[in-house]
Amino acid sequence: MALPLKYNFRNLTVRKSSTLATAFSIGLTVGVFLMVMALARGIDLTLTSSGEPLNLIVLREGSTAELNSSVSRENLSNLMYLDGIVREGDQPLVAPELLTLIYKARKGMSQGSNVTIRGVGPMSNKLRSGFKTVAGRMFQPGLAEAVVSRRIAERFQGLDVGDKFRIQATDYTVVGLFESGGKAFESEIWVDVNSLASATKRETFSSVLLRAKDQTALESLAKRITDDQRLHLKAVAERTFYEDQQGAASGVLKGLAVFIGFIMAVGAGFAGMNTMYAAVARRTKEIGTLRVLGFRRRSILMSFVLESVAIALIGVGIGILLALPLNFVSTGTANFTTFSEIAFNFRVTPELMLWALIFGVGIGFLGSLLPSIRASRFRIVDALRSA
Amino acid sequence: MKFGKLILKNILRNKRRTLLTISSLVVSLFLIVTLATILTEFTQGNERASPLRLITRHAVSLGFTLPVSQQQRIATVPGVRSVIPFSWFGGIYKDEKNFFANFAVDASKFREVMTEIKMSEPEWQAFISDKQGAIVGQKLVKLYGFSIGQRVTLRSPIYDRTVEFIVRGICTGGDEKTLFFHHDYVNELVPAWAKDQVSTFSILANSAEDVPRIAQAVDSIFINTDAPTKTESERDFAISFETMMGGVKQFMYGIMGAITFSLLLVMGNTMAMTVRERTREVGMLKALGFQRGTIAGLFVGEALLVTTVGAVIGIGGAALLFRSVDLSLYIPNFQSFVPTRGTLLAAFVVSIFVGLLSVVYSAYRVSGMTIAEALRSTE
Repeated sequence: MALPLKYNFRNLTVRKSSTLATAFSIGLTVGVFLMVMALARGIDLTLTSSGEPLNLIVLREGSTAELNSSVSRENLSNLMYLDGIVREGDQPLVAPELLTLIYKARKGMSQGSNVTIRGVGPMSNKLRSGFKTVAGRMFQPGLAEAVVSRRIAERFQGLDVGDKFRIQATDYTVVGLFESGGKAFESEIWVDVNSLASATKRETFSSVLLRAKDQTALESLAKRITDDQRLHLKAVAERTFYEDQQGAASGVLKGLAVFIGFIMAVGAGFAGMNTMYAAVARRTKEIGTLRVLGFRRRSILMSFVLESVAIALIGVGIGILLALPLNFVSTGTANFTTFSEIAFNFRVTPELMLWALIFGVGIGFLGSLLPSIRASRFRIVDALRSA
Repeated sequence: MKFGKLILKNILRNKRRTLLTISSLVVSLFLIVTLATILTEFTQGNERASPLRLITRHAVSLGFTLPVSQQQRIATVPGVRSVIPFSWFGGIYKDEKNFFANFAVDASKFREVMTEIKMSEPEWQAFISDKQGAIVGQKLVKLYGFSIGQRVTLRSPIYDRTVEFIVRGICTGGDEKTLFFHHDYVNELVPAWAKDQVSTFSILANSAEDVPRIAQAVDSIFINTDAPTKTESERDFAISFETMMGGVKQFMYGIMGAITFSLLLVMGNTMAMTVRERTREVGMLKALGFQRGTIAGLFVGEALLVTTVGAVIGIGGAALLFRSVDLSLYIPNFQSFVPTRGTLLAAFVVSIFVGLLSVVYSAYRVSGMTIAEALRSTE
C-alpha cells in the first residue's frame, strides 16, 4: 500500500525554509537553462519562419550569404522568363534584391553594429507575407527613402521616422517603420533597389527571389538554375536557406544551455540530496513506526522519491515563472558570418517548458534516489530505537 | 584558533553532508569561473589593442571597401609612422567549420606596424621575399599542423576565389589563430570590382597623443570622395566588435548572478540544517558558560571553512584545468582561455561572502536563544 501523499505535503510544509531553499536552487537551474534555450529558440524561430514554402532564392555559386553573393543583370533577365514561375498579369514574381551594411551606434552607446540594408523591388512585398508599415508610410520607388524595422529603430540611434542616414553620396530619409511578423527582415532597413544600386554604384544584385508555381516547379527550377554551368548561380528553397543559417548562432547557445544546465543541475542535485538525507534522518523513528504499521519498504522508497519530485515541481514552477517574462524581451546580436545585426525575441515555448519540466523532475528524482533507498533499508528495530 | 579543532570535528560529524555541500560549491564555482573567462575573452579585444594604432574603414560600414591608393595619402598625415592595408579575406580552409581569420597585408611594413608579432629573422625574410608566402599563428599550427613550406589553399566566398599560399613563417604574439599574406599577391587574383580595394588600413602613430588628431585628419581628407573613411583607435574598433554582440555581457552577468544566488541557497540550507540539529548542544555550551559571540563564531567558522575548501578546489581546479588545456583553440575568435587573476580573486571573494551570508541568520538566531529554549529543542 502506498503512503498517502498528504503525508509528504505535511512534511514539506513543516520544513518550509528547507523546502523553499531546495526548490529555489532547482528553480534557478531550470530558469537559467530555459533562458539560454529561449535565446536559441528565438533565433531559430526567427529564421525558420522567414522562408516562404514556394520561394526560391538565387545566389552566386559558392557564396555563403546574400551579402557576399552577386547576380548580374544579364543573369536576372535569364531568370525572369523561366518556366514554372508564378506570374501576376504578364509580370513574373521575381524580385532582384541588393544588400549592404550600414554601421550604426546602439541607443545609449558610442559604438554599435552593422545593420543590413535591403534594396527591394516592386515584387519583393508580394513574395513575402506579413510585411506591414506600423508608422509613417512605405518608401516611394525611385526616391532616396527608407523604411526601417521597428525593432531596429528601437535599438539603434538615428533610424526613426524623419531621421536621415548617408550611403556614399546619397542621403536617405526614414519615412516609415515596419514589422514583418517576427521574421529575419525585422533586422533590416528597406529601400528601393534601384536607388541603392545607384547610391552604391553596384552593377549587380545580391540575390534574386522568385515564387514557383508549386513544389514540383520549385524543385525543377532549383535544379535547372544550379545545373546551368553558364550562369554560375545556385538556387535554394528560401526555407532551406534560412534554416541552414540556424546552426551557427543557436547551436553555440544550445551547447551553452546544456553545459550550464548540466553543471547547475549537479550542484542543485547535491543540494537536493542533502535536504532529503536530512529529511530521512529526522524521520527515522517515523519510518520505523510506518514499517510496524505494515507499510512496505517499497512504499517508503516511493514516498521519499515523490516528496523530492514535489520539491522539484515547485522548482520547475519557479524556473518557468522566472523565464516567462523574457517572452516580451527583444534582443539582438551579431551574425558572425556577416557581422550584421540579427534582432529577435526570446521565446519560451511550451516545448521548452516541457523540457524544463523533464529536466527539473529529473534533478529531483536522481537527487532523491540514494536517500530514499537508505530510508527503505532501515531495520525496524534500529529505526525505532534511534533518537 | 583554539576552536579550530572543534570546528573541524563539527564539519566531519556529518561527512556526507559536508561532502555534498563542498561538491555543490565546487561545480558552481567552476562554472562561474568558466563563464567569467568567456566574458573576459569577449571584452579583451580593447585591452589587447595597441594604444599607438588606428584602424581606418569605410564610413558607411565594413561592407564597403576603400581604394588602396588611400594608403599614400594617409602616410603623409603628420604623426603617422606607418600605414598598411589590413584586408579581411574571409578565406575558408577546407571546410566552413575550420574558421580562422586571414588578412591581406603589406608584408614589407607588416612587422613595423604589428609590433607584437614575433618571428625569427630568416622567416621574416622568407615571407617578405615570397609574394605567394603566408605566415601563420602558432595556434593554427597546433590546430591544423601547418608547417613551413606547406601549401595552404583558402577559398573566399566574398571574392569568389580560391587562392594557394605557401607557409613561410610561424609567428607568435597577437592573435595566434590568424594567417597573413601579401595584399599584392591576392590583388592580382580577385575579381575586377575588388581590385585595388581593401577593407581596412592599420595605421601606426608616432605617439599615443597623435592618435585622435590622426583620426580626424585622415577622415577629413576623404570626406568628399567616393570612399569616405571612418578612422578610430584600435581600441574603439575592438569595442565596436564587442558592442555587436549586443546584450551578451548583461546576459552572462545575469547567469552568474543566478548561480551565485543558487549557491547561497544551497549553503544556507546546509548551515540551517546543521545549526538546527545542534540547537541542544548550543544550550549545553551556554550552560557551560560560552558567550554568544563564541557560539556564533563556531558556526561562522564552520561555514567559512566549508566554503573555503569548496572555493579552493572549484576555483583552483578551473585555473589549473584551463592553464593545462587551451580551450581557445576550439572556440572561434577566442585568443586565450585562461582565467585572469581578477576573475579568480573575485570568485574567491564571492564564495567567502556567500559562506558568511549563508550562516548569519541561523547563527544569530541560535546563539541568542536562552539556555532553556535551546535545551528544549526537539530537533
